[in-house]
Amino acid sequence: MSGTQDTQGLVRAAQALSRRPSLEELRERKDRTRRHLEPTGDVMTISMGPQHPSMHGVYRAVLDLDGEVILAVRPEIGNLHRGVEKLCEHRTYHQIIPLTDRLDYISGFAMNHGFCEAAEKLMGVEVPARGRYIRTMTHELCRISNHILWLGTSIMDLGTQTFFTICFRDREYVLDLFEMLTGARMTHSFARIGGVAKDLPDGFDHRCRKVIDFLPKRLAEYERIIKQNRIFLKRAKNVGIFTSEDCHAWRVTGPTLRAAGIARDLRKDEPYAAYPEVEFDVAVEYNADVYDRFLVRMKEMRESCKIIRQCLDKMPPGPFLAPDAAHSLPMKKNVLRDSAAMIQDFYQVFRGPQVPRGSVYRCVEAPKGEMGVYIRSEGGAKPARVRFSTPSFYHGQAVPALVEGEMVADMIAIFASVDVVLGDCDR
Amino acid sequence: MNEGLDTSLTVVLAKLEKRFGGRLRKQTECCGDLTITVEPEDWMRVLSFCRSARELAFDQLDCLLGDHLPERTGAPFEVVVHLLSHTHGHRLRVTTPLAEGQDLPTITGLWPSAGFDEREAWEMYGIVFAGHPDLRRLLTTEDFEGFPMRKDFPLRGTVGGRIRTDLRGKI
Repeated sequence: MSGTQDTQGLVRAAQALSRRPSLEELRERKDRTRRHLEPTGDVMTISMGPQHPSMHGVYRAVLDLDGEVILAVRPEIGNLHRGVEKLCEHRTYHQIIPLTDRLDYISGFAMNHGFCEAAEKLMGVEVPARGRYIRTMTHELCRISNHILWLGTSIMDLGTQTFFTICFRDREYVLDLFEMLTGARMTHSFARIGGVAKDLPDGFDHRCRKVIDFLPKRLAEYERIIKQNRIFLKRAKNVGIFTSEDCHAWRVTGPTLRAAGIARDLRKDEPYAAYPEVEFDVAVEYNADVYDRFLVRMKEMRESCKIIRQCLDKMPPGPFLAPDAAHSLPMKKNVLRDSAAMIQDFYQVFRGPQVPRGSVYRCVEAPKGEMGVYIRSEGGAKPARVRFSTPSFYHGQAVPALVEGEMVADMIAIFASVDVVLGDCDR
Repeated sequence: MNEGLDTSLTVVLAKLEKRFGGRLRKQTECCGDLTITVEPEDWMRVLSFCRSARELAFDQLDCLLGDHLPERTGAPFEVVVHLLSHTHGHRLRVTTPLAEGQDLPTITGLWPSAGFDEREAWEMYGIVFAGHPDLRRLLTTEDFEGFPMRKDFPLRGTVGGRIRTDLRGKI
């Protein structure tokens, strides 16, 4: 009996391998699905957005159309520009953290984490083990909440209304965990240079385990529903093919790149926090279309649950903030009890960390893609230049390459599948 | 000086030094990141070599940014690019100093993702990228005056950013 099962497993593995398209095949498939029309006299220009409901914020795309086929797209961004990078030059490193989670407000902690990783690399701060585990866990909770929201909104863009509310209900469980852990539901400002702001509250472990036991079952149910939905399959399969070489050329990263058959994940490739100490698989799919991006994200959520469970199991006791008086804040509970901690608190709040000269660039795997932070320091408490190279900025730029030659209705599906958030894009 | 570098970056540095020799202005290393500084005239040559040489193979431009260092009076501006190779997994930073009004050739031909970055560097610092297909303002309004990320531009104030109604329908 087991022998036949083994053979069946092998046969299935071989079939899966043979179904993996090569780069040439994908290129050819992309060429076949796009229509190559010469612009004739009948070009109609319409403006999609900034208030269009499927533009996920204030993205504006000026479309040149021939009938329903998109000839050219001119993206217009900047409606949500807040000058975060200019503000950073006038703030100390600690004060920058609350600015960062307003970048991608859907997954605020990932942005906090990216900035802190870069600042720690510049300052040479070592994060204690408990801090690293709490960061990893929070980052993965963030990924789940981001992907659930993405699932709800992108499926809604394709015409399902109920799914949106169902996903928001499930996201609520994760947001409740955030509220318990950080005090805020969306803009957490939870990471600190050298660790995190707070330890896990009482009862968090139990509640978090309940959520991560329950979510994968729900997700499996949704996946089954969506995979059987013929309308979704028609609109997602073989639509918006974007090969790995296109991804590299346009700096498209994250789930979109992994759906194109590249197993690149910074959590594995340039490990940080506690990722080297937990086991998980990188979600990869091979057809580079909207459907595979959906599969990658569903798989990633399951992997995130696995990571969170391992973090809770392995969470070591000890400090969650680095005992580095020159660069990090003291643990808040010590400030009113211990004179050294109080002095450190005053020093850090009024003067800020004393940072050496130099420049660093550090990338983390945010839910939407690779989020890079460049910091140039001239010494002192404030950076001289900060640059956030956020995933949505480049994904928003790649939209013309993604949709030219497709139909207008497919643009909705494709735009939703790359997951752009305009706070992240406009900074 | 290069003790902190890992082996693949040492190979990159050796290869670049062999190809360009004295043309590289300097190389520095900070926290494991390798930075090479080149003259603006060599910008295109060095970057296209980085893109095409087999041992380097930087197939992704991670980001391009402008910077302003007003205390460096001769060349107060700087353009910084971060390159990444998916083949080898290494990263490199290339910078070039620029004088006020000096322009730089665009690298959108090598990496199309530089398009938005160069537009941003232009609108924020006034660095002109010659040959850029569409060098317009990106994040600020079309009629914004001044270059807001320069150090002498105030953080607060009501300078620029006025919405001009006479441009409606023309943009």
